[in-house]
This record gives sequence, C-alpha cells and structure tokens, in this order.
Amino acid sequence: MVKLELAQTLRKGSGRVWNVSWHPNGEALASCGEDRCIRIWGRDLLGKWGNKVVLTDGHKRTVRQVAWSPCGNFLASASFDATTCIWDRQGGEFECNATLEGHENEVKGVAWSRSGQFLATCSRDKSVWVWEVAEENEYDCAAVLQAHSQDVKKIAWHPAQDLLASASYDNTIKLFREDASDGDWICCGTLTGHASTVWGLSFEADGRRLVSCSDDSSLKVWRGYPAGNQEGVAVPEGESTWKCVCTVSGHHSGTIYDVAWCQRTGLIATACGDDAIRIFQEEAGGDEHAPSFGLVGAVERAHQQDVNCVAWSPTVTGLLASCSDDGDIKLWNVNEE
Amino acid sequence: MSRFSGVLQLTDLDDFITPSQECIKPIESKVTKSSGTGSKISIQEDGSYFQIGADGKGQKLQEVEITLADCLACSGCITSAESVLVSQQNQEELFRVFEENRQLKLEGHWNKTKTIIVSVSVQPVLSLAYKCKLSPNDCAAKLATYFKMLGADMVVDMTVAQDLSLIEAQKEFIRRYRACEQDGNKHTLPMLASSCPGWVCYAEKTHGSYILPCISSTKSPQQIMGSLLKQWVGQKQSIYHITVMSCYDKKLEAAREDFADENTKERDVDCVITAIELEQMLLAANIDLAHLENSTFSQPWLMEDDHDISPMLYSHVGSGSGGYSDYIFIHSVMQLFGASRQNIQYKALRNPDFKEVVFERDGKVLLKFAIANGFRNIQNLVQKLKRGKSPYHYVEVMACPSGCLNGGAQVKPRTGQTAKEMIAELQKMYRNLPVATPEQSEIVKDLYDKWLGGQDSDKVNVILHTQYHAVEKVTHALNIKW
Repeated sequence: MVKLELAQTLRKGSGRVWNVSWHPNGEALASCGEDRCIRIWGRDLLGKWGNKVVLTDGHKRTVRQVAWSPCGNFLASASFDATTCIWDRQGGEFECNATLEGHENEVKGVAWSRSGQFLATCSRDKSVWVWEVAEENEYDCAAVLQAHSQDVKKIAWHPAQDLLASASYDNTIKLFREDASDGDWICCGTLTGHASTVWGLSFEADGRRLVSCSDDSSLKVWRGYPAGNQEGVAVPEGESTWKCVCTVSGHHSGTIYDVAWCQRTGLIATACGDDAIRIFQEEAGGDEHAPSFGLVGAVERAHQQDVNCVAWSPTVTGLLASCSDDGDIKLWNVNEE
Repeated sequence: MSRFSGVLQLTDLDDFITPSQECIKPIESKVTKSSGTGSKISIQEDGSYFQIGADGKGQKLQEVEITLADCLACSGCITSAESVLVSQQNQEELFRVFEENRQLKLEGHWNKTKTIIVSVSVQPVLSLAYKCKLSPNDCAAKLATYFKMLGADMVVDMTVAQDLSLIEAQKEFIRRYRACEQDGNKHTLPMLASSCPGWVCYAEKTHGSYILPCISSTKSPQQIMGSLLKQWVGQKQSIYHITVMSCYDKKLEAAREDFADENTKERDVDCVITAIELEQMLLAANIDLAHLENSTFSQPWLMEDDHDISPMLYSHVGSGSGGYSDYIFIHSVMQLFGASRQNIQYKALRNPDFKEVVFERDGKVLLKFAIANGFRNIQNLVQKLKRGKSPYHYVEVMACPSGCLNGGAQVKPRTGQTAKEMIAELQKMYRNLPVATPEQSEIVKDLYDKWLGGQDSDKVNVILHTQYHAVEKVTHALNIKW
C-alpha cells in the first residue's frame, strides 16, 4: 500500500484549474485554467513552491492544457479560443512566439512528441492536428486527422516512437502514425471497449502499454502486439494491434478525468469526478498478457470538487501534482507504507 | 462517409448541434391567431407536428425548410445533415425532372417542356472509365447513351468552359500583376484559384477579409458552362442543366445565389450529379455501362452549326484539377517577360501536395507559383498569407489531396487496389488524353466574338466573373460551450 501526504497547496487566481504540467527537469510546474492565465510555479530556497510567472496575454478564453516540450525550452498552451500558443523564454521573459490557428473551435489538448519534432492538438471540432516544427517559431500543419466522430478530449504521444493516441467523446481511442512512403499521417488503430467518453490516456514508460480512463468509471490497460508476436494476436495489414489486457472497475464513483502512469515507479494515478485521487499498482507475479492492477492508495476528499488532472514529477520519485475545479493545485508525496 | 471535401467537413461544428440550435437562418412560420395558453403540440405518426388549441381544434404546423443556399449564407452548421442539405440536388430530383419532362412531351405541352442538357467534366468520366475498365472516350459515349435513355436531350463536353476559365484566369492574373506593379496593392497578389468550391466556401467562412480579395474572380468551369448554356444557348429555349462532377462541393457551388438569375431565380446549374451517384444509379437500374451503345455529344453553342460528334475528351497541361497553375505560368512568363517555358517542373515541398515552381532571370525570382492541395496545405498557405510570409504570385488551391481527380465523390478503388494506386491510374489516364490548347480554339474565339462581344468587353466581366462574400461569425450564448 502507499500513503498520499499533502505536501503543499498552491492557490492563486480564480476559477477551476484544468491542467498541470511538469517541466522535464522537474524544477517547474505550469498550470492553466478558467482565468485564461498560465502560471509557472517554482521552488524557493527553502524548497517551498510559489508562483513565479503569470502569462496573461495569450488567450481570450479558458486555457485547457499546457505542455512543456521535451527539451524544456518551449511551453505549449491549448485554449477554448481555438488557438494554441507556443511560449519560450529566449530573452529571459516568457513570450508567445507562435500562435497555431486552424481548429474550428475549442482546443482541448496539446502534446509534444518525444523527439520534439511534432506537436499534436485536438479539439471539439473532432479533429486531431499534427504540427511539424519547421524553422524557428514556424509550425507547419502536417496532418488534419478526422478519424473521430465526436469531440476529441486528449492526446498522448508514445514515449519512443512517433505514434499518437487520441481519446474521444465517441468512446474510442485512435492511434495515428506517419506513413513513411509519402509523409501522410494515417489512423492505424481504433481501440474500442469503453462504454462512454474516454477522457485521458497515458503510456507506460517503455511504451508497451497504454492506460485510458473514462466516463464509464473504469480504467483500461491496452497492450501493443507487433507483427509476428509470439502470443498469436492477429495483426491485420502489418500494423501493431492494441488489445485491452485489463479493465480496472469498481473503484471510482464518478467520471475519471485523467490518468497518469508514473515513468519512475510504474504507479498509476487517477483524477476523478468524485473528488478523489487514487493510486493503482500492477500486482506482482501476474501474467503480463492478463495483468491485474490493484488499488493501493487513495485520498477520498483530495479536493473540494472534481479533480481534473494528475501529473507525476519526472525527477522526484513519488511527487504527484493535482488540480481541481475548486481552484487548488496540490502537491502530494506518494510513499510506500 | 461524407462525400464533401475534408475542408467542408471540418467547417462542421459538432453533431450535438442540430440545425435548429445553431442555424442562424431566421425561420418564419405563419402562426394563425393565437389561441392563448393551453395549446399542445403533438407529433403524428408520419412525423408531422400538430398544434392542438384550447378549443380542441388541430392545426398542422409548417415544416421548416432549409435550403443549400441558406446554409451557404450561414456560419452555423454545415454538412452535418448532408442528406437534408442536398435534397435539391440528388438523383431522385433528377429522375423527377426527367419524368415530368417526359409527361409534358407525351401530353404535347411543348411550350412547357425543357431541353435537358447534361454537361460532363473529364474527372468523373475517368473515374467511371477506371471502374468499368473502359477507355475514357468510350465511357463518355456510353454515359451519353445512359443520360439519353433517362430523357436527356443533349450531352455535352465541358472542355469549352474549362478553356474559357483558364483564359480568363490568366488574363486576370496579368491585370493583378500589373496593378500590383503600379501601386503595390497588397490585396491583388497572390492570386488564388477559385474553381474549387470547397476551398472558396472555407475561405468565406473562416478567413473572409484577408483572403477573399486574393481569390480569382474567374468563375469555375461548371459555372461558366452554366452561363453558356442558360444565357447563350438558352436564348431560344428553356433549359434544365445537369452537370456531372467529381465532388459534392460542386452542389454547394451550383446553389450559390450569385449563380442564379436575379429575377427568375433560375440557376445556371440546376442539378449536380457525381461519379459515385452515377455508379449507384447504374447499379440500382442494373445497367452495366460497358454493355451500352455509344452515342454522341452535342455542341449547342455552335448554334445553327451544331452537329453531333463522338466524344473526344481532352486534358490540359498541368494538374488534373484543370491545370490552372501551368496555364497561367506559361502564358504569363511569355506575356510579362517574353520568355518561353514549356513542361515546367515543380519542386515538392514538405509533401507532394504542396509544390512550387519559379521563373528566374539573372538569379532573381520573377514569378513564383504553387499548387496546394488538401486541407493541411491550405492551412499552411493561409497561415503564411496571414503572417505576410507568402512568397507566391499565384497558388492553385484545391481542397482534396491530389486535386480534382481525387474528388470526394469519385468512385472508390476497385477491390484489391489502394486509393493511392487508383489516383496514380487516374492521373495516367488523364495524361494520356490529347492536350487542349484553349488560346487556339476556334470555338472559344467564336464565343468571345459572338456571345461575349470581344475579349475584354464588359460582358466578359459580368458573365465570366463572380464575387465572394465573407460570412460573419455570429457568436451567441448557444455557441459557447465548456
């Protein structure tokens, strides 16, 4: 079992906080929300977290998600004003040096590929866009993917390959990759199984598995089976097949809005509409093709209202950030009991 | 699967929004004297709504009708309910018109009958020829037979309209180039192609003020064909005009108010039918195109000299979308700089659907043209224009990847073939057609003289050019969603 200890509560501004994102070096945390601002938090000399920067002039409406680039030099922000801004701090100050336009309406998610070569965005307009980082501050639209039939809630890149996963109100997860022969992006997989909106996705550290969370109050763990796999999973047309190997249900009493698979510990954290944060761990000794995940820790009233996002620190083992409709950002230490 | 181009599919908002919610068209329904409170509305078995007043009397409520033209003028929904939207333009409507005309002829009402003319563009013919494994000209000749079986009076080739469209676009480019040279007006260049209605509609709805002045005022071949038939050939007869096209977006174009007679509201193109719909019609009627006889095409614009001919399809130099970029480039290099350039070579940029070509002299780029197909490239072009970073003088923009040969309503690949292999085959078929030379066409020359009153007459500007309208985004409470 693990224990969640509240380390600090961060509060500034007003309205719900939608998302938090750790800088790759773990020294900064970015947050965004209803107040249209992006805040960057850092530690003081005593190790206490405080608000260092507020970026107010980028967006006209709610900022739904923020994401640091893998190199740590850029911060992307996705907003309901239909734009995505790319911020950098070349002159010491954060400045918005590119605004990506094209989505018809609310941008719901933004994510950088591990290589940093691509940026993906998704929107209520049902599309997923892939942007290729061209020259300085230039982003070319590499693909407009209209595979979903509804609002696309979130996207996540594979940790090693340029494989993109998207979660939608149409209850499915779609996978996309670039066709090397002509540079076209294609939908190379549709993962069905959730009975309602898929809200979040997170790849395991080595990218072999993917966890998704849904309005159906369950988590699903999907595993990729490449062509020629020894398990005999059918692989049509040479694409990897992603198969649901585990469903975790019965623990949540509301919509699960976010899920984060810790790259350091393998723990899975969830953010739920029942105000709780829960931690799951794979049971040892199980069949890796039919694993079990058990609830190992929870804070029932982690926030006053819906928990919107959970994010594991990339550098400090067991440090988890969460944010909520109640306007708070909380930092938790998750330790073995 | 929608047959509109991807651009128009994206203009759709979402499926939770039914037209009644987001549609900004004011719906007027006549309300008879209010019966005060206490009336109820019930739904009948046939789906109609009945209002039952306090006195117990029922009254059928009027159904709301939304036409394609309404949708074009609106920034709300579009294409989510395409079956509703294209009701004026589907095969049932086509069959109804053929049948009505047949009845009128049978009953001898000659003053009420119409001359039904079907204009055929090259891309859907190639698509059907590919599917039925016919040569393009054979396919055209058999399609002519099919349409005549249905009741068409004439089947005609649209090449003449494509020729006029290319010539006008090229003249327009020279005018814009000169205007830009004189006063450096930023809004005249680059000139952007206007023949793709998906692109035009997208530009009107999302990028109004700064893109529209760049879009060529030259009408598309479909609409030039419409003017030619309705206004020139139609002087002495009443015409019902059907076009055979490669995408659904052409239906939207035909429905634009700019392309209807101001007084009679009669459209230049009454009905657009696409390759995939034709395939379905043939299938439903259990007709194998290959087994039909060949018949001829007409040339009614020759007036008294009209004589039927065997179909002879042509390509134009350049892309399978009509070859705008190549035609304008070759002729403008000649006219502006006195240089001869044939077989121009494009350089592909990030993907094969965005390519450019330059004319240089002494190391200086004098002209830079591009072809941008598909939505992602339209995006990159639009963003470049918006930031003032477009280096182009002209861009041939088409909403579908690979252009019109890959139109959204072309037939699907034969079993065992991929879409890419099919497009490659269609491109090959197109390249193997004899090449039209619009500026040398005697027919085109004649039309300028007899119909249009010369090359640069006012009539040319009125008849062969059009205008675009930015659609204002309306924001009201219902649009805002969390």
